[in-house]
Amino acid sequence: MSALRLHRELAAIWATGPGLQRLAAVNHSVIGLRFMATAFVFFAIGGVLGMLTRVQLATPDSDFMDPETYNQVFTVHGSMMLFLFAIPMIEGVAVYLTPKILGTRDFAFPRLTAYGYWCYLFGGTIITLSLVFGVAPNGGWFMYTPLSSNVYTPGVNADVWLLGVTFVEISALTLAVEIVVSILKMRAPGMALDRMPIFGWYMLVTALMMVVAFPPLILGSILLETERAFGLPFFDPKRGGDALLWQHLFWLFGHPDVYIIFLPMAGALSTIIPVFANRRLVGYRAIVVAIIALAFVSFGIWVHHMFTVGIPHLALAFFSAGSAIVAVPTSVQIFAWLATLAHGRPRWDVPMLYVFGFFFIFALGGLTGVMLAIVPFNWQAHDSYFVVAHFHYVVAGALAFPMLAAFYYWLPLLTGRTAVHRLSVPAFWLVFIGFNLTFFLMHLVGLLGMPRRIYTYPGDVGWNWLNLLSSVGGFIMTIGFGLVVIDLLAQFRYGRRVRRDPWRATTFEWAMPIPPAPYAFASLPQVGTAADDSAAGERALSLARGEGYLGFARNGWQETLGVHMTSGAPEQLIVLPRPTYLPLCTALATATAVLAMLFQFYALTLAAALLTAGLFVLAGQSAGLARDYGPLPVGHGVSVPPHTEVAGAPPWWALIFTLVADGTLFASLVFGTFYLWIAAPNWPAAATPAPDLMLALAAIVALVVAAAAARGSLRALATGGSARGWIALAMLALLAAIAACVALIGGIAPPPREHALGATAAALLFYVAVHAGIGLLFLVSNLLRLGAGLVSPLRSMDLRLTRLWLDYTAMTAVIALGLVLALPLLVAMLGPRP
Amino acid sequence: MSARPVPPRRLWWLLAGFGVWCSALVFLYAVHAIGCAFAWPAGALRLALAIVLLVHLIAIGWMWRDHGTASPDPSLDSTGAFLHTVIVWTLIAALVTIVLTLGPTLALATCV
Repeated sequence: MSALRLHRELAAIWATGPGLQRLAAVNHSVIGLRFMATAFVFFAIGGVLGMLTRVQLATPDSDFMDPETYNQVFTVHGSMMLFLFAIPMIEGVAVYLTPKILGTRDFAFPRLTAYGYWCYLFGGTIITLSLVFGVAPNGGWFMYTPLSSNVYTPGVNADVWLLGVTFVEISALTLAVEIVVSILKMRAPGMALDRMPIFGWYMLVTALMMVVAFPPLILGSILLETERAFGLPFFDPKRGGDALLWQHLFWLFGHPDVYIIFLPMAGALSTIIPVFANRRLVGYRAIVVAIIALAFVSFGIWVHHMFTVGIPHLALAFFSAGSAIVAVPTSVQIFAWLATLAHGRPRWDVPMLYVFGFFFIFALGGLTGVMLAIVPFNWQAHDSYFVVAHFHYVVAGALAFPMLAAFYYWLPLLTGRTAVHRLSVPAFWLVFIGFNLTFFLMHLVGLLGMPRRIYTYPGDVGWNWLNLLSSVGGFIMTIGFGLVVIDLLAQFRYGRRVRRDPWRATTFEWAMPIPPAPYAFASLPQVGTAADDSAAGERALSLARGEGYLGFARNGWQETLGVHMTSGAPEQLIVLPRPTYLPLCTALATATAVLAMLFQFYALTLAAALLTAGLFVLAGQSAGLARDYGPLPVGHGVSVPPHTEVAGAPPWWALIFTLVADGTLFASLVFGTFYLWIAAPNWPAAATPAPDLMLALAAIVALVVAAAAARGSLRALATGGSARGWIALAMLALLAAIAACVALIGGIAPPPREHALGATAAALLFYVAVHAGIGLLFLVSNLLRLGAGLVSPLRSMDLRLTRLWLDYTAMTAVIALGLVLALPLLVAMLGPRP
Repeated sequence: MSARPVPPRRLWWLLAGFGVWCSALVFLYAVHAIGCAFAWPAGALRLALAIVLLVHLIAIGWMWRDHGTASPDPSLDSTGAFLHTVIVWTLIAALVTIVLTLGPTLALATCV
């Protein structure tokens, strides 16, 4: 078949329609670009807000902004840069590039990618509009309690942050699960884990970190919002709560987040540096070990943000030592890059300028990080501008410079042109000089005692010239970024035209048409030892002719291959869903729930949440295949069954990693319960808890029955019987469990609004009830899909997913209800406490 | 005879070494907090912490014996050797991290 004919056939299947049909896009290239463009808009808004703070602080006693406006501006600046720019930009890069680099056609769950994007857009818009209406968050980007409680922040400002950011986090979490599953199951045939481009390892580890890092903050946000909206005192010390619980939950997310931002950019550097050094990356295995170590250690040092809150020295020493040792795996990567450059024949181009900028700035940020890891120094510098300087060096060094290197490296893939050097080089130097002038001086003003977050300062304390120069540096940096934008736009028209693969790279994204077609690869590349070091561009023509796997169109299906996790051998044909408006509609329903919560229309919140759940069930009705196909040819004499007929299909792994995230949220809730028990003041409560043992046992028994019924439905399906009876039994059992949990919540002592003891018991029971409710949705979907003929003995994934969910629900319910039953004993133990 | 692919479940071993480190940190932090909250005598608290640390060192030592002293399974494909090396080095790195970050701190004053 000719390349042109194959292109036309595949494009007809994969392309997104014109006009309003663009709102139905699910293709990873479209969504990835949207993520990056939207993130860049928020970066520009956040940058303007940052400049406003520098204008305010340029001179002492400034009246440019009043304190309330300043509080909103710096809070939204920080929140926007972290939650609406850094993380989504990483996600955009991941969505756009990962499938291409791994030699596959799309991600595993295109509709989820689109849903994640819309959630991000709507959440970010809510936060941005709040600034326009003067009700933006104003308590700092980490929203510390009690400042963010409704006693000290009575308006909707804090609610905007809690709901808007949680909305965006849902997007991040869905994408994280999708990235993990896609990397593990959807690579080019033959791409074993040891042959996977290092970028894939970085994205895999980052996405796994996101799966575990976001749930504690989501839980914290939910608890704080319920305190603000319904008076449940999780963080109110007068009623048995503890403000420090928020800090623990926030930093359990916040510290790994730095590495969640750093690692994908390090992956970009590990891809770019070998190309410009003209040699393979030094220390591939050492880097894989280092990023695994970094992922874990970054979680274990969250307390280093809390060195001044009164934790005993011995415990501080754990986190101080961990904070220092985290520099080791980071250094392993830096030395690997330096060794690659030292042993190669480096050539100089614009991306390498930003790589140089990264080395300089990240090294400085790392060194001040080690200084701040040392407890006595941290006590002196805490909450001063030294810390502001440090995290700007770390975050900007880790993100902005590699990001710009990556843009200059990968933009020819979109434009077919290279950068305009007369603009690119001065732009770099303006950004580099401006950045250092702005933030290096903040170290000095911090050491001179300037605290962060003050809206102005007196003129006689010696901070004037440092602040003025810092602000001048900010403007130079902004001009530099402006020039970068002009340069990137100019590249489309005035850049030098290049052939495919202008850098002579070896990764697969260069083995495709420029700009990439919606199907990415006309046929999927085979990875073998001989091809590893050949330039990707040399393989492009044979792939375009359909000489790889799946080099044909069939049934109008969007086809790609699922592979064995470790060896990369083809094992399933994955048929992906076509463009649909469902992700947009579902995100709109979710946004309605969030906005209704914000304006305290709780009935509407409930209705919109139910609509969201219903739309998810509806989405399930158009997934899968309506009959058994058996093995289908995929090229090169290989035949594999469709994903609907194999055990290890992407939905199975997606649910496993979703449960990992869910389990982390549950573990955080259990941690919160024990933390309040051990550390919160005003315990025990006046009223002693006395949970109803029979109700709790009834709930557990009902959930075990539901899990057993799910097994029964699978057995019935396999033996040709009817699964519907078992499903009905499971539904009844779940309804009974929900009723028991509601009754238990109704009888909690002390009442949840009076003491955190009752509030935590209510939260644990609510968790069980919600999971039983989601189990009902699984079962409803099972019934609908059985009726539609989408389930058969060979296509039993639906029932297996339900069984897994109900098993998890039963297991966590035993722990949650056991803990509720143990609360009287735990409270009694507090008696002998001094 | 063609080599077998590495079973996917073996990937969990990539997380094992530092999983033990995380467990050690969490349990040490929890036992320390409980001990201080209930005013355990300094000697008893230090002993409890040392036992927690020792249990984790034994766990990682057992993993080391299982993996570090064995050669890669010859019946597995080339990915097997790669994963073997990475797993062994994550175990070594985790062991060193446990010893350096959690060991010396136990000599400090317990609840000041």
